[in-house]
Amino acid sequence: MAMIDSLDSPIDTTTKRKERFTGTDLAVHILLLGLGLVIALPIFIAFFTSFKLPAQVASFPPTVFPQEWTLQNYQAAWNSTPFGRFMLNSIVQSGLITIGQVIFSILAAYAFSILVFPGRNLLFYIVLGSLMVPFELTFIPNFILVSEWGMADSYQGLIVPFIASAFGVFMLRQFFLTIPKELHDASKIDGAGNWRFLWKIVVPLSKASIGAFSIFAFLNAWNQYLWPLVITKTFEMRTLQIGIRFFMSNLERGQEWGPVMAGSMIALGPALIAFLIAQRQLVQGIAMTGLKG
Amino acid sequence: MPMQISSINLILFSLHMTQFRNKISSALEGYLYLAPTLIGLSIFVFWPIYKSFTLSLNRIAPFGNQMRYVGLETYANLMTDADYWNSVRVSLLFVLGTVPVGIILAVLLAVALAYPLNNLSWLHRTLIFVPIVISSAVTGVLFRWIYHPVVGYLNYFMVQVGLFDRMQDAPNWLATKDWALIAVIMAVVWRQLGFNVIIALAGVQNIDQSYYEAAQIDGANLWHRIRHITLPLLTPTLFFLLLINIIYSFQAFGEIDVLTSGGPGRATQTMVYDIYYDAFVGTPMRGLASAKAYLLALMVVIMSYIQFATAQKQVHYQ
Repeated sequence: MAMIDSLDSPIDTTTKRKERFTGTDLAVHILLLGLGLVIALPIFIAFFTSFKLPAQVASFPPTVFPQEWTLQNYQAAWNSTPFGRFMLNSIVQSGLITIGQVIFSILAAYAFSILVFPGRNLLFYIVLGSLMVPFELTFIPNFILVSEWGMADSYQGLIVPFIASAFGVFMLRQFFLTIPKELHDASKIDGAGNWRFLWKIVVPLSKASIGAFSIFAFLNAWNQYLWPLVITKTFEMRTLQIGIRFFMSNLERGQEWGPVMAGSMIALGPALIAFLIAQRQLVQGIAMTGLKG
Repeated sequence: MPMQISSINLILFSLHMTQFRNKISSALEGYLYLAPTLIGLSIFVFWPIYKSFTLSLNRIAPFGNQMRYVGLETYANLMTDADYWNSVRVSLLFVLGTVPVGIILAVLLAVALAYPLNNLSWLHRTLIFVPIVISSAVTGVLFRWIYHPVVGYLNYFMVQVGLFDRMQDAPNWLATKDWALIAVIMAVVWRQLGFNVIIALAGVQNIDQSYYEAAQIDGANLWHRIRHITLPLLTPTLFFLLLINIIYSFQAFGEIDVLTSGGPGRATQTMVYDIYYDAFVGTPMRGLASAKAYLLALMVVIMSYIQFATAQKQVHYQ
């Protein structure tokens, strides 16, 4: 593929200083801004609707901005359904999955890049092959298995099937491969074993890649839908995504879309914040996958 | 004399043993690092492949543990099941609706985003990439609100621009058989846009500038440059996007569950939704669901394989 150094950012985010601000520049600005607003519109709508008074939410014609800002939708959502509990469940589920995936992937990627052992390549292709297995094929047997182990409707049930991540192994291995062999040799001369080399040198060097993968893993776990839907039964164990779905269907009758939008913002909030903070790493990480894939 | 020979032998022997032990221990070490991931994948990805198949060969009592072996009878029955073929049709329509549109939109946006601007590109990118963090459930909820027949933004917008006279004339998106699938398609395309644009943008920016410079010297205009440089050199990216989007579209679930739950009247009952329905809604029929899941997986794998096979001819590398 293209000759890019894996350490360079695949998406160019540096600004190029140009001499003049041309008419084309303005046209492109307007075009992009328009497109951007249209694309981000649903989120803006949810955001503004969540702060509107119920009367304005149900009013016709529909408006964008709230005439009067109120928090009552958030209060209604928080009180009527255990959104606090949903939030906690999502945080525990996503947090533990992320931590598990990061650790497992670091270990496996290290093995596939720095360590040497028989069958290394074959095993790597097998791991990679697991990415081709569609989820609908695995979720029914996994459901039966997890239930038989008594982990249904629990944190373990939400987390354990996802602790291994082939994608994480792939992504981190890409970066580990760029670490010069001389470093490893030098550390061996200093008497450090593989374990120390991994945690004292490799991991600190890979902070950016590991960070990007962590965000990616967290977002995927946070936004999971089908698995939490089937593995959780009681309200206490539902995650935010499932919670918002049932919240919406319960309220349909009364057209209480204000609280539904508030609930959506709650479900959306942490992911959005993570995105705004770490947008650059996340985008670079995804872009790299596309180029190497 | 014999003492010296045997002591040399002894040294050589212990040296070989140490090397052998080191080899084993370094191999073991490698496997040890791999173990967590391999075990996890074996239990939750590889084993289910086998288990799914064995499940599909049985009829399973809904809540009990009784299984009756029926062999391939389930598969045979499916071949003549009208509802099953409906779900296949819906899935194919769905994929056809989401993938080309999504990729084309993404490439157009990427080309626009690749235009060098001095400032505000972070704003443009943030706005355009943002759907990537939205979950399928939230997407469903947002679009349900937008599609609302009485106070929904979409219909109101269409009335305002004159496409329809009154709100009632505009489609009732989620309640009409003809429009429901399109409504779901739009929601899914929207959601995938963030991811697709990022990949497309990386691909576009990866094209060596010198090609464009040479073309400009030769007098090629913008359209020409796009058609003869950008698109051909974008084919690896397009290939990747095609693959990922097809796989994803076959598995899309959250939006459908929130927007339509497979309705109205099975109009949006994709294969995945059908499988979920069989296994978890009403009286669970896990054997049947597993058979359908197997067929779906086969379909996806075959499609991916065809794609890989034809890629050699279509994909150009720099």
